[in-house]
Amino acid sequence: MIGILSYLVFFATLASILAIAVLGLNLQWGNTGLFNGGVAAFFGAGAYVTLILGGQPQDEHLGGFALPYLVALAGGIAAAALLAWIVGRLTLKLRHDYLAIATFGVAVAFENVMRNALWLTGGAQGLRGFERPMRDLLGDGLNYNSVFLAFVLVLLLLVYGVLQRLAGSPFGRLLRAIREDEDAARSLGKMPARIRLTAFVTGSAIMGLAGGLYGTFYAFVSPQDVLPTLTFQIWAMLIVGGAGNNRGAIAGAFLIWGAWTASGWALSRFAPVEAQLYTGSIQFILIGLVIVGMLLWRPQGLFPERLVVSQSGKPGH
Amino acid sequence: MTMKRSVHTAGLGLVLGLGLVPVAGEAMAQSCTQKIGAVLPISVDWGRPIAETAKFVVEQVNSVGGVAGCNIELVLRDDQTDPKVGVDAAKALVDIDQVPVLLGSVSSGVSMPILTSVTVPGKVMQMSCCSSSTAFTKLAEQGKTDGLWFRTFATSRVQAAVGAMVARDKGYKSVAILYKNDDWGQDIGKIVAANLEKLGIKVTAQVALNDAQPSYRAEVAEALAGQPEAVYLALYPTEGTAAVREWLSLGGTQNMIMANSLKSDDFRKNVGIEYLGNAVGTDTSSPRTPSAEAFVKRYVEKFGGQPNGPGLANSYDATMIALLAMQAAGKDAKGPQIAAMVAKVTDPKGTPVTADAAGFAEATKILAGGGTVLYQGATGNVKFDANGDVSAPAVVWSFTNEGTKEDTYIPLEEVDAFVASMK
Amino acid sequence: MIQSLADGILVGAVLSLGAIGLTMVMHMLRFANFAHAELLTIGAYAALVFDRVFQGVNATLGAKLAPLTLTGSLVVAMAIAMAITGASAVLIDRFVFRRVREKGGELSMVFASFGVALIVRNVIGLIFGLHTELYSKGIAFAVVVSRDPLLLIKPDQVFVLAATLVIMLVLHLVLSRTTLGYALRAVAENPSLAQVNGIPLKRMIVLIWVIGGGLAATAGIFYGLTNHLSPVMGRDLVLPIFAAAIVGGIGSIYGAALGGMIVGIASSLALLILPSGYSPSVPFLIILAVLLVRPNGLFGEVRA
Repeated sequence: MIGILSYLVFFATLASILAIAVLGLNLQWGNTGLFNGGVAAFFGAGAYVTLILGGQPQDEHLGGFALPYLVALAGGIAAAALLAWIVGRLTLKLRHDYLAIATFGVAVAFENVMRNALWLTGGAQGLRGFERPMRDLLGDGLNYNSVFLAFVLVLLLLVYGVLQRLAGSPFGRLLRAIREDEDAARSLGKMPARIRLTAFVTGSAIMGLAGGLYGTFYAFVSPQDVLPTLTFQIWAMLIVGGAGNNRGAIAGAFLIWGAWTASGWALSRFAPVEAQLYTGSIQFILIGLVIVGMLLWRPQGLFPERLVVSQSGKPGH
Repeated sequence: MTMKRSVHTAGLGLVLGLGLVPVAGEAMAQSCTQKIGAVLPISVDWGRPIAETAKFVVEQVNSVGGVAGCNIELVLRDDQTDPKVGVDAAKALVDIDQVPVLLGSVSSGVSMPILTSVTVPGKVMQMSCCSSSTAFTKLAEQGKTDGLWFRTFATSRVQAAVGAMVARDKGYKSVAILYKNDDWGQDIGKIVAANLEKLGIKVTAQVALNDAQPSYRAEVAEALAGQPEAVYLALYPTEGTAAVREWLSLGGTQNMIMANSLKSDDFRKNVGIEYLGNAVGTDTSSPRTPSAEAFVKRYVEKFGGQPNGPGLANSYDATMIALLAMQAAGKDAKGPQIAAMVAKVTDPKGTPVTADAAGFAEATKILAGGGTVLYQGATGNVKFDANGDVSAPAVVWSFTNEGTKEDTYIPLEEVDAFVASMK
Repeated sequence: MIQSLADGILVGAVLSLGAIGLTMVMHMLRFANFAHAELLTIGAYAALVFDRVFQGVNATLGAKLAPLTLTGSLVVAMAIAMAITGASAVLIDRFVFRRVREKGGELSMVFASFGVALIVRNVIGLIFGLHTELYSKGIAFAVVVSRDPLLLIKPDQVFVLAATLVIMLVLHLVLSRTTLGYALRAVAENPSLAQVNGIPLKRMIVLIWVIGGGLAATAGIFYGLTNHLSPVMGRDLVLPIFAAAIVGGIGSIYGAALGGMIVGIASSLALLILPSGYSPSVPFLIILAVLLVRPNGLFGEVRA
């Protein structure tokens, strides 16, 4: 019984961390219409920098500044924001599909640098030397995980609250206005380029927060954590949950991550050994079908965007 | 009832999966079931045989009465080489299935977060067949593994050393190094280069090959530029095939030294045996004992082929040692107690036992009498140091028309002496 | 240096072929199709199947056309593979892209194409296994063209380059000299206006997919001929192909052809400066560099 509880705490922690990242993407895509194909890079920047700033000194790679945890986490968020600012300055003026490819490329390059810059990140072996904060006080077991889950949940609610208020605020209206009709927004004297950059940087900083928490939770990060699969998983969560709806984003994270792990559990339990060689491929096909199916039959997601303000003059509506 | 059912399903799965003749009566003889967990990349082409080998061991041990009177059930989970997926699977095994022992994983990038966030906090013993990263040694040196971490994969030092020895013995003056750009490849590439230079052999290039590259032409051209006399290959069969075909077609030398990862039929067939006459490989090896030969024979009977493939012998030993340690620790032992028993079953002064069901049965008797045993495994007389690392004897092998053959056997002492001289 | 240039052009030819199809689809249907590279995989594997079938039926077809490793059976298989890939592209459009297009924005299409790519890649992996395949196991040795400076060239690659140039020429003639070509270009410029003028839009879209698919199949087969086949070859090629299309400018066929060469040469030359571990980033760096200077690519026009 206690075991199941312990597992659920663990599961909920990771799902909540991913949900935070999905919220960040929702601000970019759901609210502003920015196609960020490089989620893994901003997530990874948060994770790597948090661990480098907060970790113990290591011989093999940079870092181990042993800063207080919250400072390290803030540093991780700042790093993700900085990366987003640079990338945004360079790419946000691009057309949507170019933006998708350019940011996808950013993530590839990011993974590449993490893998090769041994002096900076430990290379393919990953970054070690991080101590989970308050471990002396709470130990390692369920206690620790419960407290950490509470911490993550507080942050999740905080991010959710801020984004909800934002969506209802004049700034939120502005974001949607830019998403729906940039020229109209410009004609009203708004500056779409700057506002888009703000949304992009904020969303990426939220992903950085998620990454920082992820690194903390595992006390380790390696290039394998920032492969394009992660970007894809986060996107799937948003599409299934419902782009534009923060509650949907959170629900999507729990649903997709739940389905991903539960299918692995079920396959290990019930599938014959021979079929298990193929479970990876089958799982990916299923995920692909869910995505395509959602776009075909319920493009608004399980929890559609609830429009707080008047709808734009989209043709056909 | 449910427990009995699950035993039955597992047994059935084994029978189906491995093409066994069912011995249901025997499998059901034990009154209790003890679960152990495994997190392995079974959805990856080379990952599945590693998992099958682990299952094979469990089945042999069950055939001689299981561990501490209980039937062992191996719960196998796929990690898709995704750390998130692997860690979650490990956590489910530890918390829900309450396994005291976890086997896995292969990728260091998966094994490491499992170790730091699941097995060490959960006080579960983790035994990996194949994770090669030196980061584990460092973690253990810092006292962060609580003695719960073991791996049967000899660190890359052994193979790198033997690779350099081969270059020296063949009299090569210059060598180019092509390595896979992952934790294992970066490691072995670096050590080989250092060893070669120590021997006075010129390293003309160290070229990293990334996964998922459409063409290795530019990389190969870079390695060719120094016109090396030989090439060292720390690659997996997929990129190894692509790179070596490119290498040969551009007129690169056929003098090749290969890491054990290329001991693969796919590689031999797709490159062509006619070009592999001067190619020699290195591997860690079994000791020259009758039991090791018996292991190979049993393996061939079971799977219809030689245990050629990355990590098979290592997976065999990892599982067997874990089960021996569980046997030594007794019924319902927890992770740390089992981990403490590993030394007792790999004791150089203990009674040697063979790597099969008979050996396990013999070990059971000796341990019950308070003695210690020396497990003579498929990778040698496995002996862990304080950091959970092993050293092993080595072999030099080459390809034949049918498969591979062994050329030279290098005893552990010689390997150790060479490694020491490289420092 | 000379060798790197030659390598770049020869490797780039395959990228050019892939990019031409991609750029046409992107221009016409206005979305970044991440599943385009999977069409290369479909084509390559379709050719593999029929190549084996023909060799089984008639052994003489399996003989190599020296000095190439190309066989007669593969040439015939190529024609069938082009048809199959074109048909697959049309079917994928019919069942997924067209419906998503009718429902929503072009950006849903981008994500739908991610999903389609994932499905196609893993289905091929399930059917053929995850290991690499080869059309011909024999190794085609490079010919020494010059000793100083050293220049080695593989006959297969010269064939691929020549075939690519021929295909481009034919495509050029079709697009610039035939009514069909005019119609296609009209649709690309302004779909509504073209429709008003009596050009059947739906048929034109089908045609674009058939051409794009056929070119992708050729690219996939040429890649298989000079490298190898694997279920994930689409994943490996997607970024370089996008780079080629974007560098050239979306909608420009000549741009895509040149873009492929540029990406090939840059990737080859980059290793002279960068450590080889960084090579996956090179296509991306090229994309970024070109977009910063020319936001619509080298030959692209400004588009709403």
